[in-house]
Amino acid sequence: MQQLNNIFELNNISKVYERKIAISSLSLTIKKGELVALIGPSGAGKTTLLNILANVLKSESGQLLISGVLSDKYNSGKKLAKKIGIIRQQFDLVGQLPVVHNVLAGRLVEWGFLKSLLSLIFPQEKELAKKALDRVGLLDKIYEKTSNLSGGEQQRVAMARLLVQKPEVILADEPVSALDPARAEDILSMLTKLVREENETLITVLHSVEYAKKYFDRIIAMREGKVYFDLPAEKVTDKLLSDLYDLKELN
Amino acid sequence: MNKISHSFDIHKKTILTLLLILAFIWSLFSVNWGPELVHTGGKATLAQIFESLFHPQLSSEIINLALIATWRTLSYAVAGMTLAIIIAILFGVLASGVLAKSELSRRFSKGVFRGILGFMRAIHELIWAWLFVASIGLTPYAAIFALAIPYGGILGRIFADIINDVPKEPIEALYSAGASRIQLLFYGYLPMAASDMISYTMYRFECAVRSSTVMSFVGLGGIGFQIQLALQDLNYNQVWTYMFFLIILVVLIDLWSNILRKRLVE
Ligand SMILES: Nc1ncnc2c1ncn2[C@@H]1O[C@H](COP(=O)(O)OP(=O)(O)OP(=O)(O)O)[C@@H](O)[C@H]1O
Ligand SMILES: [Mg+2]
Repeated sequence: MQQLNNIFELNNISKVYERKIAISSLSLTIKKGELVALIGPSGAGKTTLLNILANVLKSESGQLLISGVLSDKYNSGKKLAKKIGIIRQQFDLVGQLPVVHNVLAGRLVEWGFLKSLLSLIFPQEKELAKKALDRVGLLDKIYEKTSNLSGGEQQRVAMARLLVQKPEVILADEPVSALDPARAEDILSMLTKLVREENETLITVLHSVEYAKKYFDRIIAMREGKVYFDLPAEKVTDKLLSDLYDLKELN
Repeated sequence: MNKISHSFDIHKKTILTLLLILAFIWSLFSVNWGPELVHTGGKATLAQIFESLFHPQLSSEIINLALIATWRTLSYAVAGMTLAIIIAILFGVLASGVLAKSELSRRFSKGVFRGILGFMRAIHELIWAWLFVASIGLTPYAAIFALAIPYGGILGRIFADIINDVPKEPIEALYSAGASRIQLLFYGYLPMAASDMISYTMYRFECAVRSSTVMSFVGLGGIGFQIQLALQDLNYNQVWTYMFFLIILVVLIDLWSNILRKRLVE
């Protein structure tokens, strides 16, 4: 029964690019409802790990269980989309479409071809999109061309899409790195608040340790493809952090 | 290292330029420079054509004829382009391979449909026109099909390239949100490719009007056919009337496409 509570279980996962080891024999467990920040220096393997969790990258060895089921079993995009939602930097939206369609794209997993085609002319389940946009404070921009929105607003549209998609876990890769500090905090506090309200799980790659401590429960630090530390946010000390980002090579 | 290969490139360019100039000079020697090089009556004819440029025939009868002929040329071009666009979207999407599920079927779809599109545009519209006139006779359909096939081939190829050049991040995001291939096409590829596709189509439409004019020399009616008749009568004043109609038509299309393009960019 314990297993059902684990959304991700990694056993000795490794990933090698040509000769470079990106992830080396990594084991982790992530429970349902956790808010995890993934930090570490550049090239530590954070994006690689996130892509393995998202099942878009296959590991060379080891085993990944998603909700207790082997990752290979999630072989269709639709099946995976109900489990995992992804948010990256703000370049993920189709700028030429009005905001409403970018939000409703979160329903494509449920919709058939004809309904999704019809929706481009007469938006279907519009109430759903309206509710989601209202929660991210962008209801007035519903028919705006998406590329006219600012970077921060586009990230909020991406969050509205996730609200409509309703995955069990959200994986985010540096979702605020292209935003100014005020905008970044705004997005992070909104994202973590929504995830808590929806009882979802969140794993976010972050470059800012400060944000990681402020908004997340658990911090996993990576260095050279390994877990350097894995602690509750309040137990992370400055000493640990300065060692983590120390430029000296580890042995 | 980079510098060396760069200067080598410049070197190659200079050598190529020299070779081309030499080839050109050599080709001049093979021309038989004599009084018979230019048709003896040519100068007089040229003067006559030039002179009639300022005196186009503007009788209501000719203008009426020109209007009908221009209208016909335009309708062939519009009908031909409409068909070409349908062919191009269908084959272009298939030739881009974005609907294929596996790597193997993607390559297959790309290979086959790029091949078909290549065949369609390898043959010039005039040759298609001859083929269609020979098989279905001097009907408007011959002109429309003759335009639609090569233009469908060109547009389809460009559409496929535009679709393949679309930014990948939004597509991946849609895929991870659970969109199927066909949903990716309508929510990702096509919206992102649309403005480039439309602006290229407008440019091609202008070309189609000119092609449609030339094609009517085959006997398919339209402004080109009238020009041909006038030329046979050595009636250059009439030729210019028709020419002006053609020019106005092309300019109008250019204006319209500029307005459309501007609206798309906004
Ligand atoms: N497609 C690839 N081909 C080859 N090597 C790669 C590839 N992707 C990542 N790597 C290498 O794997 C290592 C881990 O990369 P990864 O992108 O996971 O790091 P990261 O922690 O996300 O870094 P950053 O903070 O800069 O985004 C790096 O050394 C990188 O050079
Ligand atoms: Mg990264």
